[in-house]
Amino acid sequence: MVTVLNSIDTGHEDMIHDAETDFYGLRLATCSSDNSIKIYDIKNGAHTLLEDLKAHFGPVWQIAWSHPKFGNLLASCSYDRKVIIWKEQQGKWTKYYEYANHDSSVNSVQFAPPECGLALACGSSDGCISILTYHEETNTWDAKKIQNAHAIGCNAVSWSPAVTPEPAFDNGQEEKFVKRLVSGGCDNLVKIWQEEGDKWVEVNKLEVHSDWVRDVAWAPSIGISRHYIASCSQDRRVIIWTSEDCKTWNSSVMHTFDDVVWNVSWSLNGNILAVSGGDNKVSLWSQNSEGWNCISDVLKGQSTL
Amino acid sequence: MAVRWSLEFVTALEHRDLQASAMAVDSTGTYVILAGRRYIAVKNLDDSDFESIRKFSRQSKYDVNAAEWNPTMHHSELCVISSNQHLEILTWSVGELAPTHLMRAHTRVITDLNWHRSNPNLLASASIDTFIHIWDIRDSRKPALSLSAIAEASQVQWNQTAPHILATAHDGDIKIWDQRKGNSPVQYITAHLSKIHGLHWNPQVETQIATSSQDNTVKFFDINNPRRAEFVLMTNAPVWRARYTPFGNGLITVVVPQLRRGENSLLLWNTDSRSSPVHTFVGHKDVVLEFEWRKQKAGDNDFQLVTWSRDQTLLVWRIEPFLQKLCGYDPDNCRKSDCNENETSDTASEVSFKAVSKAKPLQQEFSLLNVQIPNLKVDKMDPVKRCCIVTASTNNYKVVLHVNFPQTYPNGIPPTFEIGPDSSIEEFLSKRIIQSLLYTAQQRVSKGRTCLEPCLRQFATMLEQWVDSSNVTQLHQQPYLEPEIIGAFNDACIPFPRTSGAKFCSVSTLVCFGRQLHTRRVTPKIDSVTPRALSALGNANRRGNEQLTVISHYIHKQRLRLKQTNRSLKCVITVYDAAGLFTVNRHLAEKYMLDGNVERICKHNASMAESVGRWDLVQAWTLAGLIIKTHQVDQDDMLEHPFGNQLIQSLISHYANNSDVQTAAMLSCVFGKGQEEKYRRKSFLKYFPMTAGGSPYHTIPPADVVADGWVFPLLRVARSNSLDNLKIEALPNLPFEKPPISSFYEYYKLAYAEMLHRWGLLYNRAEILKYLCTPTENHKGVEFLTDCQKCKEPSRTTSCITCKRVSLECIICHTSVRGSANCCLVCGHGGHTKHMRQWFEKYSICATGCGCRCLTEALGMFNF
Repeated sequence: MVTVLNSIDTGHEDMIHDAETDFYGLRLATCSSDNSIKIYDIKNGAHTLLEDLKAHFGPVWQIAWSHPKFGNLLASCSYDRKVIIWKEQQGKWTKYYEYANHDSSVNSVQFAPPECGLALACGSSDGCISILTYHEETNTWDAKKIQNAHAIGCNAVSWSPAVTPEPAFDNGQEEKFVKRLVSGGCDNLVKIWQEEGDKWVEVNKLEVHSDWVRDVAWAPSIGISRHYIASCSQDRRVIIWTSEDCKTWNSSVMHTFDDVVWNVSWSLNGNILAVSGGDNKVSLWSQNSEGWNCISDVLKGQSTL
Repeated sequence: MAVRWSLEFVTALEHRDLQASAMAVDSTGTYVILAGRRYIAVKNLDDSDFESIRKFSRQSKYDVNAAEWNPTMHHSELCVISSNQHLEILTWSVGELAPTHLMRAHTRVITDLNWHRSNPNLLASASIDTFIHIWDIRDSRKPALSLSAIAEASQVQWNQTAPHILATAHDGDIKIWDQRKGNSPVQYITAHLSKIHGLHWNPQVETQIATSSQDNTVKFFDINNPRRAEFVLMTNAPVWRARYTPFGNGLITVVVPQLRRGENSLLLWNTDSRSSPVHTFVGHKDVVLEFEWRKQKAGDNDFQLVTWSRDQTLLVWRIEPFLQKLCGYDPDNCRKSDCNENETSDTASEVSFKAVSKAKPLQQEFSLLNVQIPNLKVDKMDPVKRCCIVTASTNNYKVVLHVNFPQTYPNGIPPTFEIGPDSSIEEFLSKRIIQSLLYTAQQRVSKGRTCLEPCLRQFATMLEQWVDSSNVTQLHQQPYLEPEIIGAFNDACIPFPRTSGAKFCSVSTLVCFGRQLHTRRVTPKIDSVTPRALSALGNANRRGNEQLTVISHYIHKQRLRLKQTNRSLKCVITVYDAAGLFTVNRHLAEKYMLDGNVERICKHNASMAESVGRWDLVQAWTLAGLIIKTHQVDQDDMLEHPFGNQLIQSLISHYANNSDVQTAAMLSCVFGKGQEEKYRRKSFLKYFPMTAGGSPYHTIPPADVVADGWVFPLLRVARSNSLDNLKIEALPNLPFEKPPISSFYEYYKLAYAEMLHRWGLLYNRAEILKYLCTPTENHKGVEFLTDCQKCKEPSRTTSCITCKRVSLECIICHTSVRGSANCCLVCGHGGHTKHMRQWFEKYSICATGCGCRCLTEALGMFNF
């Protein structure tokens, strides 16, 4: 069912904290505690190091690729309280924009769906979420900050997909995407934010987790009239939140794991969830009529692969 | 009479079998307590016999980590010592030491304790159990206040002036607490990257604290500005303790030399000039464990420093006025005059002693000179002849500098400088160098400071400047690096780093990373659950090496269990192809076709599905083909064939619900295509009456979607605006307006198009997008417009909006151009692509005769 395409020895000097391929799956970016970001060409099973980016002064926690319609952009966030957006021009990666307005480690970065324009959300341990928006006309970045989004710190942010069937009662009007975000933090809460005018307001506060929420992921909802959000926590549980209208959310515990859960990731068609955590295992989950079940944990003990 | 080893110190005690680990001087400056595992000893410093001592045996298996006399006059007889998890208070009276209190509350070993500076009853203790307890000795059963610090505390210090403030050290961080607000620290200071060994509050400045650390520095913080140290003192060895002197700007440090044999472990600094220490106390044969100031006796010029070393000797050092002066302290005027009077009436031997003491600073300065100056070599240093010769060489230039120190140097008199005869520089330059060196020296010595090192540095810099005038201040510039590595700031709120993860990327790629086998924890059950905050990293590693990284966290745990020393690290990322888990298929995406006759499409696609072995899809496509066929058999009525349409719709929704966006989108496209053809053929009026019954667009919702209770948007089908109006007029009160499923179909198409984009199948993507019913995005960016040849107004279409004429006329055939056209960007002439190609095959000049060499000139426009 799952085959190894590529195995890359990154040569990082310390632990890797995130890895992601670009839109096309042709390039891989990794970030590590050795303060560096590396970009590899992984086309056709190759693994050629394209770039080694060193501008952070602390471990780099997370990276994110932008949609290619904005060019080749890569965002990274680090313990050094900075968010850096990198841009590739003529095969060279340079620092495109640096945002240093957080007071503590920045733990999460995510690009908005391309329909919302070029925008980036950052969650930091200082409790704030920043939304950076690029304005093409003035060639500037503008930052909005949700102050005190999570009391002790924000650990993860995720955008809602723009391609979602929305009830639009007025036929003639051009479709407007409602920009929404979900975030998880050290206050054990999952919060949903919505842009209203030029402000971000909290629309939901979801309280089920009993320890720090480590990751949240809003499922891409392709042809599903329902919103799905997965959240995972230090309490070793993964919770799936569902909603019909983005107003009321129902929770169901997907599974309780043996160790803390760090990471949840939806597949593009939104029907498979990859979960990983402190026990170094990766498992894949999908939903059937009975509920969620593990369809593969062949990836356990990755190191043996 | 005590043995005098030198003029500088007296040996107060030498006792081999004491093995004391803690030492304290009482507030009167009379008694010293020395506490170890086996004995507690009390020594009277005024008793000149260096072997007389009161020894009390102590039966304990624990060492004494800390000892301190009560600093207030009120309880000066009290002394506290820590023993493992307990505090013992001892009372010294009439030559006897009696335990009076035993205080237990800590659960782990106590690392430090400190009496309150002014309140005789208060005592703070810090422990590895992360708590700082504040005790009131009037009730020793439990602490009066407990401060919870999360991280284990290694040091605790009450502020010297502010009565409620205390500081604690936790690995590389400092927390400042207010006793009145005990639930959380009032300030965090991220002081060092390595462990802090010592804390000391400035006795004069209420908010200043000095920290000494493993990272070879002493930092001075203003607690109101925790972001940055006020200044930093660099040494070449880890600093064990740094304490302010009771006079001037002095600071005493105990460094831990690498070999543990260094003689210069006890240094005196002036905090205003931190490049080199002002004095080195030489005398101990081993590392100094503890030092304290003795209370100054009335009328005494000297301060006395009591030190206890691992060589089991207790030394008392006399800090003479010249040293005090070096620390920026002027003993008051009356004393000075006293001193001078004494000097004049001194005997000859005393005078010689004074001379020796004066020669000392120069020798000391030489010994402390950092000769690691680029391009500079010290040839000779003679403290007796009081001269120094250095050679600087840069780019084939060689300059020799002679420095002569007069007797009174450095007290207001600068040394003399001279450029040696064998130097290879011009005279004007040597003059300028000497001038500027003299200026620097004058400035230093006018404050009684030494000047050799700054002068030599300036000398080297000036030469370099002259040789290479471009990099002017290179030597002085040091890049400022913020100390931001793990172990700083309030890590307790930063989540523990992820070391494994999996992310779905692109369409069906799964990127996984994790810890390698040898760094994996073998039995997670035994260990506690993975920590949640980054601060756990600091605590787990604090006794290990200074490198606080995530990897060391795991390796550290591993090593405990396996004794494995292999530290090689391979950070491997595995990229999986998870296509097998999904119903979408890339090969099909490439092979599917959407162009041409609907029936043929279905047939082709069915055969393609067969070729990749997707029998379920073969069925679907065959079925779709059949439905379209029935439409064509009975052209008039079968469009609204209730079963056919329902079947198609349930097919699409079935695949959509199974997350097979590919099939759903393909069917939506093909199905829409059939519809469009019908639209063209049928009149709307004929179509209309049937809609109430069963038009697929209007009335048949998929059962599941309705069941979900979803509110659907209204009908939005391209080219049906007139139909919409009609419907509303004809049926003004339609009871239940069924929304179209087509909007869903649009999303399937969009989603599939994105998938094709990610696969890089741009042609197929464009094909899908052609079937979108929603209006395309308005074009933004570069656009080519035609200027009307008559009225020069720009026009987007073939005819001009203002004059209604054809906007582009072919210069060959003189008819209006619709469709493919080419124009010269320079002269603006052009026409049908076919005509233009024919023309320019033979000619290079424009057909109108305007003289423009269209081909070459237009090309030239792009060569900027």
